[in-house]
Amino acid sequence: MGKIGFIIRKEFLQIRRDRPMMALIFMVPIIQLLILGYAVSTDVKNVGIAVCDLDQSPLSRELVGRFRHSRYLRVKAEGTHPDMIASALKGGRASIGLVIPRNLTARISHSAVGADPVSLQVLLDGQDSNTATVALGYVTGILEGYVQEKLLSAAVAAAGEGQGPVVIEPEIRIWFNSELKASHYMVPGIAVFLLTMITSLISAMGLVREKEIGTLDQLLVSPIKKHELLIGKIIPFAVVGFIELTLAVAFAKVWYGIPMAGNLALFALFAVIYLFTTLGIGLFVSAAAQTQQQAMFMTVFLLFFFIIMSGFLFPIENMPRIMRILSLLNPMRYLIAATRAIFIKGAGLHSLYPQLLVLVAFGAVIFPFAVRRFQSRMK
Amino acid sequence: MKPRFWAIMRKELLHILRDPRSLIIVFLWPMLMVFIYGYAISFDIREIKLGLLDHDRSAVSRDFVRGMTASGYFRVVKVLPDRKTVEHGMVEGKFTALLVIPADFGKSLGTGPKAKVQLLVDGSNANTAAVAVNTLRSYCALRTIKLNAGTFRTPLTVEPRIWYNPDLKSADFIVPGLVAVVMMMICALLTSVTMARERENGTLEQILVSPVRPFETVAGKIAPYIVIALADSVLIIAFSMLVFGVPFRGDGALLLAASLAFVTCALGIGLFISSVARTQQVAMMASMVGTFLPSFLLSGFIFPLASLPKILQAVSYLVPAKYFLVIIRGVMLKDIGWGTAFRPLLFLVLFGSVVMLASVRRFKIRLED
Repeated sequence: MGKIGFIIRKEFLQIRRDRPMMALIFMVPIIQLLILGYAVSTDVKNVGIAVCDLDQSPLSRELVGRFRHSRYLRVKAEGTHPDMIASALKGGRASIGLVIPRNLTARISHSAVGADPVSLQVLLDGQDSNTATVALGYVTGILEGYVQEKLLSAAVAAAGEGQGPVVIEPEIRIWFNSELKASHYMVPGIAVFLLTMITSLISAMGLVREKEIGTLDQLLVSPIKKHELLIGKIIPFAVVGFIELTLAVAFAKVWYGIPMAGNLALFALFAVIYLFTTLGIGLFVSAAAQTQQQAMFMTVFLLFFFIIMSGFLFPIENMPRIMRILSLLNPMRYLIAATRAIFIKGAGLHSLYPQLLVLVAFGAVIFPFAVRRFQSRMK
Repeated sequence: MKPRFWAIMRKELLHILRDPRSLIIVFLWPMLMVFIYGYAISFDIREIKLGLLDHDRSAVSRDFVRGMTASGYFRVVKVLPDRKTVEHGMVEGKFTALLVIPADFGKSLGTGPKAKVQLLVDGSNANTAAVAVNTLRSYCALRTIKLNAGTFRTPLTVEPRIWYNPDLKSADFIVPGLVAVVMMMICALLTSVTMARERENGTLEQILVSPVRPFETVAGKIAPYIVIALADSVLIIAFSMLVFGVPFRGDGALLLAASLAFVTCALGIGLFISSVARTQQVAMMASMVGTFLPSFLLSGFIFPLASLPKILQAVSYLVPAKYFLVIIRGVMLKDIGWGTAFRPLLFLVLFGSVVMLASVRRFKIRLED
């Protein structure tokens, strides 16, 4: 034990003496928490719209007013000549263009019951297909809302006579995250992302660094046993990972005001079990890599797939079938799902034990395998 | 000048070639990125898991549900007998939304004026929840309009026309953007460690005492990476055109000029980090934070800039990838010309010159230390 203690002390000294490294270990997560928490949201807001009102009537102005008051759209250009829409779209000022036809009022008031409705032309910049689809939904929603309102008032007015239109009214209740804040969903994911990245990257590079500089040989000829060296090297990385995690959870609570609905101890249990997987990956990489650059490339390369296929940024349900099946092999996926359920919904062990079992299995396979690889490489 | 520059460049090339693992990753990675981004990633929210609690159990209510799932936005995964298991199913994530149809739904539709349906939504994922809510609202409005079509006027409808990417393929949007992210990442990661490695191994002094001038060292060190980065981007563009059918409508020369300016920015940042960082670990961490994160998150690559908070929007004006994205997407999808691209291009050139000069200067200071 004494020897392990020495190695642990040496590692901590090394981390502490490396000022820029210290700064990075603690600054990087804070920057990531700040940026990711806000930036990673696929919400489509403030979409620029160019409106060309050819009708210039009270009705058309009412419609334009509805667009102006939308929470999601920003009227960036208005005009009375259709060309303005093309230039606004090409220059990128707006991504939607709406044309209100010249005789809108007249055509609506003269149209017969059951006749084809008057169509408004909506031009979309389709480059960003997500924004385009969502924005089209907003525009359609505003116009349908207008029609729905007109029908509803007619229905209410005619309620007694039984002759009025019938309206289907949705009533919506949102559970768990009733203000629909994207950060509530993202920040627990960031905590997992940080834990994964820091623990696997630092452990991979820390070991390879000794290899590259040549101090690993010195350690190997010293009376320290291999497993002692390994334990002594790994514990500091686990500790650093836990500090990061605490930082992330504190940040989630204080800065983003995310209510911690579930049990923190349960989350810690998940994290500890998960560490066997990430440290195992770090060990595995450090057994394979010769230089720090290689170690970093390999880790980042692996993590890249972990992150993409974890549901952290991109919903797994939307992926093609093969990818969904492949993602079952990704340990990060289970921790992300469990963390979100614990943080947001307050889920307990009785509903999360499948995820826990899978993570235990991953750790039980990856860690011993990596240790054996590493030990055979050291010979 | 020439032989010394060539010597440094040859040395750097040898470094790269002697490390085939890194080299393979440098070329394999972009291809895999294109494949995954083009193929697997889509933000379209489809098939939201829907639980159904139908108290009405009539032909009318069944028809309502059928119409709702026909759009592809919802998929009924569970039919509940009563309210008891609702909370449990929601916490476990068995379904994301629950549609409750009251017992008098069919009757109310016949008599009017209002028939109600209720949707309970799991708000954990704000985005999915918003789509579920909006889709149901829109569907109800549509049903209402159809329901009354025979008796009441439905005055308006929308006729959408989509420009530049009429099939709304997300690959057309994402894959050209990938060029920016990959180039930035590879350039910065590769160059940021070059100097730090020399320092860590103690060979920097040897270069410093040699007759090579700082400018020559810097130029010799970055030249191979310019070639690698440009080769990578050509590879990505060719791959995306062949596999995903992304169009290339514009001026290749404009794109090449912009790429060169952008690569200069990326290499400049990498060199600068390299001249500041003392160890390779620090250099790598710094280049991840300094280049990859902003290029990925604050450039409009995937996450729309307009949705960001004001401060982050302000920061995004300093991110070279933001300007390069405008040009590469513009050239490939919209066929923009030199005139439209002038301002972003100017920024790239200025930014590139400034960081390059700064890192050469930094190197000179090191010389005099």
